[in-house]
Amino acid sequence: MQPQAVTPDLPLPAAGHASRRRKSPPIWLQLPVLALLLVAALPLFFVVARAAETGFAEAFALLWRPFVFGLLANTMKLMVLVTIGCAVIGLGLAWLVERSDLRWRRHWNVLLCLPFAIPSFVSGFTWVSMSPMFEGLGGTVLVMVLSKYPLIYLPVVATLRSLDPALEESARMLGLNRRQVFWQVTLPLLRPVLMATSLLVAIHMLVEFGAPSIMRYQTFTTAIYQQFELEFNGNNAAMLSALLLALCMILLWGEFRLRGRGYARTGQGVARSAAPVRLGRWQVPAQLILLVLVIIGCGTPLTMLAFWIIEGSSASFPVAEIIQTLWASLSYSFGGALLSCLLALPVCLVVVRYYGRMATLADRLPYLLHALPGLVIALSFVFFALGYMPVLYQTSILLLIAYALLFMPMAQGPIRVALEKASPQLEEAARTLGHTPIATFLRVTLPIISPAIGAGFVLVFLDCMKELTATLILGPTGLETLATKVWSHTGNLEYAGAAPYAALIVLVSGLPVYLLTTRAYRHKAG
Amino acid sequence: MSVHRVTGLARVISAGVLSIGMLFASGVYADDPVTLTLYNGQHEATGKAVAKAFEEKTGIKVLIRKGGGGQLANQIAEEGERSPADIIYTEEAPPLIKLGSQGLLAKVDPSTLKQIDPKFSDNNGNWLGITSRVRVLAYNPDLITEAELPSSVLEVADPEWAGKIAFVPSSGEFLGQTAAVISLNGREAAEEWLTGLKAFGSTYTNNVVAMKAVENGEIGAALVNSYYWTALKKEKGELKSKLHYFADGDAGGLSSVSGAAVIKASKHPKEAQQFLAFMISDEGQKAILSKSAEYPVNPNVPADPLLKPYDQLKPPAITAAQIGLAEDALELQREVGMN
Repeated sequence: MQPQAVTPDLPLPAAGHASRRRKSPPIWLQLPVLALLLVAALPLFFVVARAAETGFAEAFALLWRPFVFGLLANTMKLMVLVTIGCAVIGLGLAWLVERSDLRWRRHWNVLLCLPFAIPSFVSGFTWVSMSPMFEGLGGTVLVMVLSKYPLIYLPVVATLRSLDPALEESARMLGLNRRQVFWQVTLPLLRPVLMATSLLVAIHMLVEFGAPSIMRYQTFTTAIYQQFELEFNGNNAAMLSALLLALCMILLWGEFRLRGRGYARTGQGVARSAAPVRLGRWQVPAQLILLVLVIIGCGTPLTMLAFWIIEGSSASFPVAEIIQTLWASLSYSFGGALLSCLLALPVCLVVVRYYGRMATLADRLPYLLHALPGLVIALSFVFFALGYMPVLYQTSILLLIAYALLFMPMAQGPIRVALEKASPQLEEAARTLGHTPIATFLRVTLPIISPAIGAGFVLVFLDCMKELTATLILGPTGLETLATKVWSHTGNLEYAGAAPYAALIVLVSGLPVYLLTTRAYRHKAG
Repeated sequence: MSVHRVTGLARVISAGVLSIGMLFASGVYADDPVTLTLYNGQHEATGKAVAKAFEEKTGIKVLIRKGGGGQLANQIAEEGERSPADIIYTEEAPPLIKLGSQGLLAKVDPSTLKQIDPKFSDNNGNWLGITSRVRVLAYNPDLITEAELPSSVLEVADPEWAGKIAFVPSSGEFLGQTAAVISLNGREAAEEWLTGLKAFGSTYTNNVVAMKAVENGEIGAALVNSYYWTALKKEKGELKSKLHYFADGDAGGLSSVSGAAVIKASKHPKEAQQFLAFMISDEGQKAILSKSAEYPVNPNVPADPLLKPYDQLKPPAITAAQIGLAEDALELQREVGMN
């Protein structure tokens, strides 16, 4: 769940600002960006170094074996099915809520985003705890579709709302019926946003670890983790990581090619809202479909969680342990969020206030980070820390750096938008009045964007609470967070034991993320 | 007004930096006085139980890092001189054999080694056996009748067992069993066995899950270690599933050990040796057995009465040293596309 990702269309700076942007950023802004780039490149160096160590012939043999083909097929199946499922559901729901006279649509709009509140590994465990028939591909697709469709639904709703109905009305006047208008006008208009968000879901499926492994469906990520646990040498895990990384980069390339495409609207101002399509006798079936979706998407996991908590509290309820774990989760998330914001700030400044090669790099950095699997980042950190920075090995710092790398994209979203809105003229005025650049930043820019930094901080904080893979591999000895507790208990099928930790994740982190993202969309859509 | 805000923000940042610093410090300077670091590749609850009993007895704190046995051994190998680990405790012997062959383990105190039967420990004194157990077939009588029970583990790879047999290809135990099949029945038979299992068996991600699947009637039988059944029995009281022991000397009844060793790079070798000695003491073994019903290596401690007495078992005469690193077995598993 990465809310920043649902706003891929960041506002472009106005033409007047662009001309005022300075050419190349000062060194103190370049350094953090370069450092981030370097760290982001570690996974690549890691797989190459490992392959060289193994010998390329041996490395090739590790890649070219039946087991890997099976993994590839499994991963692809999951990715394609979930992406299609999310696209169909996301588009269908968005149309119902935005373009039809669906009753109680405001309420539905809120309810339909509720799955955002439940991390997929938590809902995965609630489903398999109900019945083992949800193990395997079918159950994993079900859980993943239900938890990821908001990634498509929300942006499509926003796009539909901002579409100028004039195009569709003209098509109607030119003799197309409603169905033809949908297929020949509306859908092509939605295609850019649909493609971009579908790619995003696909990337999420490649890097997803918790849910498939709890649901006993083997993909690249689950196999890499298993090989890492079983084997004496990490070469095998590294070679599988190389393949996974390659898949991610292919999708990332696709995302780059798609980005920035849109359609042009003639005329200025806010688009009128379109006249709703009457559902008529379809009103009741539509209501039922939505109801069923909300019930299976949220009702089931929440009910099962409640069931296991009641079931488990009869045995023992380790209050002290729960509080200790919660505290560990809170403090690590705090550190991760702080570091993410500190790194996001220079990246955003370079992108918004400067141009040239560095600005382009900084602009692409969040997308690159987004496509890096947490598991591969963690493995490469272990490799480099041991080899080159033993001081950092198994320290909190290394885990916090991993968090920052994983979640910096989330922090930069709001900060960037705020910086783009903050006029550089104010800064220039401060400079002419005799302030140094640093004083200008501290006294003019920072106060303007500090609410956005706060928003970015909260987003990262909440996502750190749910992080599983990097925490498992990089955490200092003895560290247990809410997420790793859920993981270790479900690994032994101790569902009642996992339930209180899972419930805390949903309460402490899921609900606020849900509120933040849905509210952001409501503001944006006006 | 802006100044006001900046100081507010500065306060938040400095508080944050401080808290990061404290996190960092707590990780780095925690080992004063002596704190032992245990790399635990054994079950989480088992490792915790023995560490807690040791802490209570000696007052020496034990930090636990949980991971797979292979993963932790690999980690220690990469850490080399800098390894923060004092002790490694694994579910299976191969990771310890590997570390021993790389010269990364300190010799176990002879006084500790001689307390138990030498067949449980390393010939070179690199590591100490802690508990032993045998491989079994756990089955659900609703799905598998007694007449159907095989005498050899090779039979469960036959087509008659399609959809009825569970196994855990990613586990060290299964790897050891594969090595035993290779050494007793030959590579060809082993290949046929693995191919059959891959085609007709159901793979599970870990033994606890496979055992529960048998108990719940999702699958007829599973190749597991005996203690998975006893652990479930303790948790639930009455079990539907039963244990089947393969014929005497069959690879299906392979006996193996869990073990522990002191890391050569340990900064507290004295306390680490003390921990090892504690693990096979009466108290240590009882703490371990409270979480995992295996056969104790300490003859003074009684085994769980639920288990078939150890002297009635006739496992194949294959020692941990013979299984070694089981590299052949992994290679064969890869050849048939299982791993």
